[in-house]
Amino acid sequence: MIHIEHLTKRYGDVTAINDLSFDVRAGVVTGFLGPNGSGKSTTMRVILGLDAPSKGTATINGKAYADLKSPLREVGALLDAKAVHPGRSARNHLLSLAASNKIKASRVDEVLEIVGLSGVAKKRAGDFSLGMGQRLGIAAAILGDPQILLFDEPVNGLDPEGIRWVRDLFRSLANEGRTVFVSSHLMSEMALTADHLVVIGRGHLITQGSVAELTANAKSTVYVRSSNPNGLADALRSKKFEVSANNEQSLSVIGATSDEVGELAHELGITILELTPERASLEEAFMELTADEVEYSGSPSTKKAVTA
Amino acid sequence: MSTTISLGSSVRSEWIKFRSVRSTLWGLITLVILTIGIGVLVSFAVRGHWSHASFRDRITFDPVNTSLSGTLFAQFAVGVIGALFVSNEYANKTIRTSLSAMPRRMTFAFGKITVLVVSLFLITEAVCIIAFLAGQSVLSGVTPTGSLGNASDLRAVLSAGVYLTLLSLLGLALGLILRHTSWAISVFVSLLLILPLLVFLLPSNWQNDVSKYLPANLGQSMTSTTVAAHSFAPWTAMIILVVYVAGLLTAGLMLLVSRDV
Ligand SMILES: Nc1ncnc2c1ncn2[C@@H]1O[C@H](COP(=O)(O)OP(=O)(O)OP(=O)(O)O)[C@@H](O)[C@H]1O
Ligand SMILES: [Mg+2]
Repeated sequence: MIHIEHLTKRYGDVTAINDLSFDVRAGVVTGFLGPNGSGKSTTMRVILGLDAPSKGTATINGKAYADLKSPLREVGALLDAKAVHPGRSARNHLLSLAASNKIKASRVDEVLEIVGLSGVAKKRAGDFSLGMGQRLGIAAAILGDPQILLFDEPVNGLDPEGIRWVRDLFRSLANEGRTVFVSSHLMSEMALTADHLVVIGRGHLITQGSVAELTANAKSTVYVRSSNPNGLADALRSKKFEVSANNEQSLSVIGATSDEVGELAHELGITILELTPERASLEEAFMELTADEVEYSGSPSTKKAVTA
Repeated sequence: MSTTISLGSSVRSEWIKFRSVRSTLWGLITLVILTIGIGVLVSFAVRGHWSHASFRDRITFDPVNTSLSGTLFAQFAVGVIGALFVSNEYANKTIRTSLSAMPRRMTFAFGKITVLVVSLFLITEAVCIIAFLAGQSVLSGVTPTGSLGNASDLRAVLSAGVYLTLLSLLGLALGLILRHTSWAISVFVSLLLILPLLVFLLPSNWQNDVSKYLPANLGQSMTSTTVAAHSFAPWTAMIILVVYVAGLLTAGLMLLVSRDV
């Protein structure tokens, strides 16, 4: 289990993590979700003892990472797929890691086989594609057959087949009772990969829970086309629903169910032409949760920047 | 077998890293070519001019130091090897992978130091002995020559290997402190080439007192069979150089342990 308690990390004036507390449990895939710059990678570096916390603690089964007797056998991590010496072969990269933790060389060939890199094991890692780099990083993470695994944005650069493979791998690692902690800034990806979610924004915890819980909490939207959109809109607003007009005839009602909209229209004698509940996707739930927490939001227009 | 990480496992891991990149091989090839090639060239030059040499030049002539002239160039190759061994890890971020596998940073660093010192010591000693023998065979019959059977000659030759090994460690220390290849190499080169120029700007009565402390001049003292004016005796020079390297290495280790990666 990974235990994060009141963790704060500052880099000069920048507060990358702000009083963050959560646990990552064994036996499930835990997604670590947040917009760019929200502190996911920083949290992972602190867990691995690479960066020292400004306040608070991160522990692995109750111990500080630096106190692990054989780190690769206890924790496997993929931080950055490009983090290999470009001139070193994949096999030598893994052999050097294995040697540091007294892991047998035969295990290196085994993990190369598992990730499908046996054929290119002696090639320079600098010539690898990003996807092959991710596979090499995953090979390094599972090298010591650890019970706890951390992956920072592992699907970046993978093709659909690779993404499927990674998802299945995480699933089977969790089913074996391991702790699997995977970061992403894509909710849609996490919806398919994770069981449990920890959502952060600007370095602090926004929410956590199962994927089902988080989607259920998100506000639903109802799309309605009717004979009297203005009348319906006024009535809905008076009931404190948020309404936006899409065009002459149709409205989007946020936070209402289709039953509520349908009954109200009936009371007013308005004819419903179309009524569609739009279930909030996990993506929308995420956008809603992190709306105030986005560090780097893009400007809607890209044209201005060019002429500026 | 214990599965706990140790200095031994760190050494094995670092040895695999050291031998599995081409920069190490190129650095060593450069070291061999410069040490032996320049030693032979300078010996030929001396041999050619011997008949015109002044009496003073003849009595101060040091055949051992002459055959080891290549170390003045090879010192840059070993510095680069040492600096790259660390700075490479920062350049491609493998330092994070390395320290996740080996979170005891001192053990990690001493693994690197052991690999660098042992392999460079063996190689530089062999290369310096070859350079010495090649140089003496060029000089023989024309000028006085040295012999490994002579204690002070042997000491000078072996000291050349020690000097180069110490300088590779200096490169490693700069890599630890500066973490960028280009910065580490620039500072290394500055210590050997720019610092002497700065000393030259000092008042002339200070220059002799200060310049004997320069790393390159300490190297010259270590590899000479005679003690030149305004320079340290060989053992004193070696001790001073060891102090420099130990000081920078300590600074590098303290930064490695305390900084985020
Ligand atoms: N070494 C550092 N020095 C200074 N600031 C840093 C450092 N590392 C991270 N930060 C800052 O901390 C914040 C969190 O960064 P972090 O990389 O952890 O975010 P992230 O959630 O991983 O983002 P992304 O989705 O883009 O990978 C950012 O504002 C970043 O600029
Ligand atoms: Mg990140």
